[in-house]
Amino acid sequence: MMWSRKSAMLGSLAVAMYLLGLTLRNSQLVTIAVVIFVVLTWAALFGGHADVASSGRRSEEFTGEEGVALGNVSAMRKMSSARLFEDGELSVTLRMQNHSGLAKILEVRDRVPEVMRIKSGSNYILMELGPRRETFIEYTVECPLRGFYSLGPVAVRIQDAFGLFHREKELHVYNDFLVFPKMEDLKETFVKSRVPKIFTGAVNIRQPGPGSEFYSLREYFEGDSFRAINWSAYARSGKLMVNERERDAVSDVIIIVDSRAVAETGPVSRNALVYSTRAAASLAKYFLGRRDSVGVIVYGDEVVSVDRDTGKKQLYVILTKLAGAVAKGNTPLQVVVNRILPHINKGSPIIVLSNLEDDPTIVNALRDFRARNFDVTVLSPSSLEFEFDAKRLDRTGYEVMKTERDVLIGELRGLGVNIMDWEPDMLLSTALAGARGF
Amino acid sequence: MAQKTSGDTSHLYDGKVVRSSAPSRKAIAGNAGIGTEIPKDAIPELQIPTFVESLLGGPIVPKMKFLPPDKMVQNLQLAVYGLLMALAFLTLIVSPGSGTLWYMLFGSIGVATALQVVVISVATVSGFVGTFRRDGRFMLLSNLLFILAILRFASSKVALAFDPFGLADRPFLLSSLVVVYAVFLIMYIELGNGVLRYSMLDTSIRTNEVYVMNPGKIVGKYHRALVINPVVSVVLATLVLSANKILPFIVGLLNSETALRMEESVELTSVYGVALGTLFVFIVTGALFMLNLPGAVQKWREARSE
Repeated sequence: MMWSRKSAMLGSLAVAMYLLGLTLRNSQLVTIAVVIFVVLTWAALFGGHADVASSGRRSEEFTGEEGVALGNVSAMRKMSSARLFEDGELSVTLRMQNHSGLAKILEVRDRVPEVMRIKSGSNYILMELGPRRETFIEYTVECPLRGFYSLGPVAVRIQDAFGLFHREKELHVYNDFLVFPKMEDLKETFVKSRVPKIFTGAVNIRQPGPGSEFYSLREYFEGDSFRAINWSAYARSGKLMVNERERDAVSDVIIIVDSRAVAETGPVSRNALVYSTRAAASLAKYFLGRRDSVGVIVYGDEVVSVDRDTGKKQLYVILTKLAGAVAKGNTPLQVVVNRILPHINKGSPIIVLSNLEDDPTIVNALRDFRARNFDVTVLSPSSLEFEFDAKRLDRTGYEVMKTERDVLIGELRGLGVNIMDWEPDMLLSTALAGARGF
Repeated sequence: MAQKTSGDTSHLYDGKVVRSSAPSRKAIAGNAGIGTEIPKDAIPELQIPTFVESLLGGPIVPKMKFLPPDKMVQNLQLAVYGLLMALAFLTLIVSPGSGTLWYMLFGSIGVATALQVVVISVATVSGFVGTFRRDGRFMLLSNLLFILAILRFASSKVALAFDPFGLADRPFLLSSLVVVYAVFLIMYIELGNGVLRYSMLDTSIRTNEVYVMNPGKIVGKYHRALVINPVVSVVLATLVLSANKILPFIVGLLNSETALRMEESVELTSVYGVALGTLFVFIVTGALFMLNLPGAVQKWREARSE
């Protein structure tokens, strides 16, 4: 049982009056104090008794509290989807059940991540739940930012009519969901560009994978398609053999996303990391749609990579990694370059998404790429613009830093890097076209 | 277009100055001056109730900007007005000028009485304004002034400023008057809170911040509590305050002579008798809490409902 501030105030008043009355031998004060005590005691004794318990997923985490009838009130949650894109809407249905034979007046709040907005319905309900009844609470949340999120716990409160005492319980019912970065459709822009295919042509990647050309034979493993079995080889060797085909991706595309702590400079919804993840998702979708093989590297406090692959599953893997990118750490780009250089095919297009700040190795790292004839494109969301728009930066400071940034960009351009200073209001396709010189 | 490779990359380094890094924007921004405030969307909006709001409004929704009152709030306001008049009248009766703080400060019964009337009047007007405007600050002021008015720094039994009902000669009725006064005070505080709490709730319902299912039943529970709680409080407080009668009665079952001595005992009929009775009752109550009586009651009710 928890005291509200009101009951604490009344209790303190009663104690003070009682002691003052005894000290002064004033029966009037003692009488008033006694009445206040009686009101508080009555409310505490018979005001309301929370006997709620948890159910649903992660119930093993429930630590419980001593109560009369744990398990009398339970909650379950259902979501319309566990995966959605930024600005998408998630419909949530919370099912509250009262297993008791007594009606209960409950205050229920389903905890929603702070960045979410309630679009319709309510996650906060005051209700009278009848004996052995259940009710469904429905609401819709809008998810403006990518990330891994969790709904829950469900907080339930029962209090006396005067709000003097209450009991609270958290029902540990959680539902995780994933918000992918939203994607811009790049198809039209690329088709309209002066050179339809802006990157280098097909690369002989010499790796087995889904394709049309025969690559080698290998033993059959569980899960292999029956259509891939080479029956002639089976007849010859007596072992089930399957044909492996050469991956026929057009080329390998490597996307490098800067998720260092500095990438989140700017407002929550407008910063380099937000723009970079959206751009990476859009590019991945575009290239995978073109049957290219796409790999993604996200670096911040560590280097997280998604190996090159093709297909829809790869897009899902990439989106998941991008959704989980957190601005942390300060790994230099040179470390990433050193790590991936031996593993990528010469000539592969490399797209770097970074605000180019606080990294003394950027020039050297990109020079290393260029020195090996990689086609490097840098899209640099300008944190300066984000901060200037947010009025955190005055005009003079902005101009000075903008000049320095322009110098850096010019220097990188001199190395043969296709680079674009990506301003906040610019579409990705425009920025990309600008970087490529269209 | 990418240049053709010759294997020699020295041309990439010709005439190039290797820069250390991009400019440290943070350092310049820190010295730049004017624009250091945090943009609005950088921090999620949180509404934290102020101390006064939480004292008065309860934890339902921490907002004090109400929409026009609905019928229930209007009824509560009317009830507060009525209760306020009764409370002001009772306060005038049970708080004579003698023994008040003003009497201690000025030593004049006339000044003390005048100031007492002023305090009660201000408390009443403040209560009216607070209830009408649904402003917790005025209500809190009213509550504090009523409490200040009743504080008496003198040894006394119950004393009346004036006695329109001739209660001075009837100690039990006199004690009951104080009990009723105390219940009125508590109910005034509670109803004032109720006006704010239900205004918050009503506003939150209408702005879709909270959804209320079966509002009739929830309001009905509050209405029942408004009737039951004062009655129970009066009965229980009267029992507690009658300890000097009840204790001798219980002892009288065993020994009538001791009971008689107890009845005539000055200590038991004084404020210490009340204190003893209070202590006794609250020891019993504490024991019931330790034995988890609320849990037992709930268990019994649950079992009965099965």
